[in-house]
Amino acid sequence: MSERQTTEDLIASLAAMPAPPRLRMSRIALQIVGLVGIGLVLLLIGTGLRPDLAHALTTPVTLAKNAIPLALAAIALPAAMMTARPEAEPPVWLLLLPAGLAAALFVATLAETPVAQIPRGIMGNTVAACLTSITVLSLTPIVVGIALMRRGATTRPTLTGALIGLASGAGAAAGYALHCAEDNPLFYVTWYGMGICIATLIGAVLGRRWLRW
Amino acid sequence: MAFVQSYAAPRHCLGSVRSAILGASFDNGREVALEPQGEWERLLTAANAGDGAAFARFLTLITPVMRGIIRARAGTMGSDEHEDILQEVLLAVHLKRGTWQGDRPVRPWLYAVARHKIVDAFRKRGSAIQVPIEAFEETLPAERSDEPMAARDLSAMLDQIDERSATIVRAIAIEGESAETAGERVGLSAGAARVSMHRAMKRLSALAERMTR
Repeated sequence: MSERQTTEDLIASLAAMPAPPRLRMSRIALQIVGLVGIGLVLLLIGTGLRPDLAHALTTPVTLAKNAIPLALAAIALPAAMMTARPEAEPPVWLLLLPAGLAAALFVATLAETPVAQIPRGIMGNTVAACLTSITVLSLTPIVVGIALMRRGATTRPTLTGALIGLASGAGAAAGYALHCAEDNPLFYVTWYGMGICIATLIGAVLGRRWLRW
Repeated sequence: MAFVQSYAAPRHCLGSVRSAILGASFDNGREVALEPQGEWERLLTAANAGDGAAFARFLTLITPVMRGIIRARAGTMGSDEHEDILQEVLLAVHLKRGTWQGDRPVRPWLYAVARHKIVDAFRKRGSAIQVPIEAFEETLPAERSDEPMAARDLSAMLDQIDERSATIVRAIAIEGESAETAGERVGLSAGAARVSMHRAMKRLSALAERMTR
């Protein structure tokens, strides 16, 4: 049986190859965190922290601008790393908690804002800077993170890519909030959310392409 | 676990039980050698530490199991193609073995890798065959049935259900005893033994699903 022989040959040649190194997910995670951090430091050196930062962080609704994206990133990054193992079931549903909180904040603010002021509340003054910063800051960590994850064995490339994008975008947003002085939830839930979604989408598309094996 | 070694008796009966449970047909005439639990883990740990012989042994051990899973999923496909897919699976096991975490059981990891490659292989060949195995139960070829590990899986699964149900399944389905005799053994009426057997088979099918998907 020649077929059978081939498989035995294959086994022999695979056994003769050096073993691939054990995958260390924490290192990949650290590199993503590091890249987001470097980008943020550069941004904040360039544009500065908001002047009233210390005061802002004592106001719950303003603190939420940092805390909610941070929570998203803190859930998405380990979940993305988990998917490097083919058998893993990452607790993606946990993302619903911060996302739900953001939605609740948005709806609550909407309810107490006079209708005439809603458009202004949503549009704010710095939409372009906000979207650009979050998207651009997340690009490097997304690309590098996904490239590193190629060594993993995700069985869901799109999900892994999306989670890396989400972690990068949300991390960037949490840092950008140290600079951004727009504290209306109508603004930041909308546009931070949009920026994070763009990053997630970029990650999903790249993951789908690059993480196949 | 001793029952697997000592069954020998009604082979047709055993064959149908195994195909019902594992979704694969195998009907081997020889005695099944049982490996101690953890053998696969031990081998892959050694392999990842650079022991080529251990890796060859590991691949040789998993080959019949993988072949069974592939055949169960492929149904109508030719056995040449089965062998191609098998080799793709073995190659992936080598390339991705760094993603197995040494402190976890190897099977969930292995089955996830195999499932991913098998689904991918069928997609590439343009035939997403997902026909339930029951449809082929009568016609599956009995060749290439050297699958001792599959029988080991059966016993491993029996270990996961409660003792009384396992006893009944062994007695009725594998050793071919009547429901009356089997029921007497565990102190049940024949009817109750049949019901218990039916329920146990359902649970075993669910377990097998998890192992082969």
